[in-house]
Amino acid sequence: MINTFLRKLSLVLTVLVLPFGLVNAAPSYNIEFEKVDNNLRDKDSLQRGAVLFANYCMACHSVKYMRYNRIARDLGWSDEQAVEKMAYNQAKAVDNVLTRMEAGVSQALFGIEAPDLSLVSRLKGTDYLYTFIRGYYEESEGVWNNKVLEGTSMPNVLEGLKRHSTEESFDQATTDLVNFLEYVGEPNKVERWDLGIKVLLFLFVLLILTYLLKREYWKDIKH
Amino acid sequence: MSELNKKTSEPGGLLKWIDDRYPLIETWNAHVAEYYAPRNFNFWYFFGSFALLTLVIMIVSGIWLAMSYKPSADEAFNSLEYIMRDVEWGWLIRYIHTTGASAFFLVVYLHMMRAFLYGSYKQPRELIWLIGMLIFVVLMAEAFMGYMLPWGQMSYWGAQVIISLFSTIPFIGPDLALWIRGDYIISDATLNRFFALHVIALPLVLVLLIFMHIVALHKVGSNNPDGNDIKKFKSPEGLPLDGVPFHPYYTVKDSFGAVAFLIVFSFVLFFMPEGGGYFIEAPNFEPADPLKTPDHIAPVWYFTPFYAILRAIPDPFLGVLAMGLSIAVLFAMPWLDRCKVRSIRYRGTSYKLLLTMLVISFIVLGVLGVLPSTPLYTKLAQIFTIMYFAFFIVLPFTSINEKTKPVPERTT
Repeated sequence: MINTFLRKLSLVLTVLVLPFGLVNAAPSYNIEFEKVDNNLRDKDSLQRGAVLFANYCMACHSVKYMRYNRIARDLGWSDEQAVEKMAYNQAKAVDNVLTRMEAGVSQALFGIEAPDLSLVSRLKGTDYLYTFIRGYYEESEGVWNNKVLEGTSMPNVLEGLKRHSTEESFDQATTDLVNFLEYVGEPNKVERWDLGIKVLLFLFVLLILTYLLKREYWKDIKH
Repeated sequence: MSELNKKTSEPGGLLKWIDDRYPLIETWNAHVAEYYAPRNFNFWYFFGSFALLTLVIMIVSGIWLAMSYKPSADEAFNSLEYIMRDVEWGWLIRYIHTTGASAFFLVVYLHMMRAFLYGSYKQPRELIWLIGMLIFVVLMAEAFMGYMLPWGQMSYWGAQVIISLFSTIPFIGPDLALWIRGDYIISDATLNRFFALHVIALPLVLVLLIFMHIVALHKVGSNNPDGNDIKKFKSPEGLPLDGVPFHPYYTVKDSFGAVAFLIVFSFVLFFMPEGGGYFIEAPNFEPADPLKTPDHIAPVWYFTPFYAILRAIPDPFLGVLAMGLSIAVLFAMPWLDRCKVRSIRYRGTSYKLLLTMLVISFIVLGVLGVLPSTPLYTKLAQIFTIMYFAFFIVLPFTSINEKTKPVPERTT
């Protein structure tokens, strides 16, 4: 009985998983993305990423679904530290993390409203972001283009950072930045993983108990 | 007979007070404690109870989502992110609901597969099948309307594609689409009515249909993997020899099944809630923008087999008809399959081959429905659409003279 059950279970699982493999084989972008090796549990990296975000991105971009006090709590800062490091004391702890740019300026300067980046990691994926922010190349003297998004309106804001750092520290900085963007995409992710382990452990114990109960009841039934 | 059941037959106190005024024990006995189910249910018979469990999960998580969700074009997307970030356990409730949507279709498809394997739609269970098919259709409407509520890009453009299908109908089409949207484009008015239908109208219909599905089942009794009738052989007390009382036998067995189901459910919920982009599609993390069409609009995975059939036909209206027919034809199964033997265990090779063809074409169409259409994929979709329909066209002719094996009188 157990054997046929397992045979059928594996058959069903194979059939169910097969389509995913087939679909994932389809290519979606023309270039291969660099793989980012970030870690959401690394609070130092997230703190560095948050500061980099405030310095290099918030001039144009917001993460409007996050509040300073939430970032503070999750990253191990006090509310005051978060406001100081990310908003130079120009915001309250409960405020949403908005851009320092006034409305309409981005449209006038770059021809596009700079998008909010709260969900950009979930929309595009972290490898995309990592490759994008590192993907600028100089087409001709002073004219930059991007290998991920040709003709992007976003200027190469990390140019200065790259020029003044070693290859290693630039890798680290861009990884931290992407790490922070992944965090703001879903601030509960680490909590979700941790709770998931506990729930699964509980359910496995319950599975054993319900199996024993079932076996006890069914032991005198021929089937 | 278990001791448990005897105890409840002579009540006193509060139970007696209630029972004098309401058929509590009678109902409990008729549908649970003395409802005899075949003892030989296998793996495939879990999916009905999983579907019921999923319904409960969806209703409960849905109620809590509706407490913080705002059905307005300006607020919907923001309120969802508010649920994900600021509402206590909001992320968990939301992921339970999104995971539940995919789980619902998965278990319902497998539940239907069970009927194909063991002929559960056949006489005398035709009405159970018809009600079940109605449940499936309402479930699709429920899922479609729910998918619009996050008001992301895929919510918006997926709905745009589906509603525009109605406008391909000759004469009344454009007016019908206008009537459904309540506006010339998908807008706040559409979102509001879809919310009303998603949280009130359709769930009520679903619950009623599921109740009828179970009442009809209990009237004729469950089929079993052997496809024979357990009521033929009874003990001197009149109890089916090959049956066991639903409670406690199947309540404990289904509890075990439910926990196994919840393990798979929780794994997806906690570790891959986006389901690789198939349960929650990435473009839906961008708010709906009526002026910007996504590069590639794909419905959620559970609609893709039917979507592939739609796209396979070059003429839009004929495509819509074919898609409608691919669902409608399932209603006719009890009459298309004319073989007297129910279970695939004792049926001829022709049915086994036909069913294999149906399952393969359904899965391949499902994969093709996710992919962007290219000439090659369209050609493949056409081939597998023909194979899908071939099952229903060939079956009435092969099933009438099928070379079957003798069905054992008792369950094995």
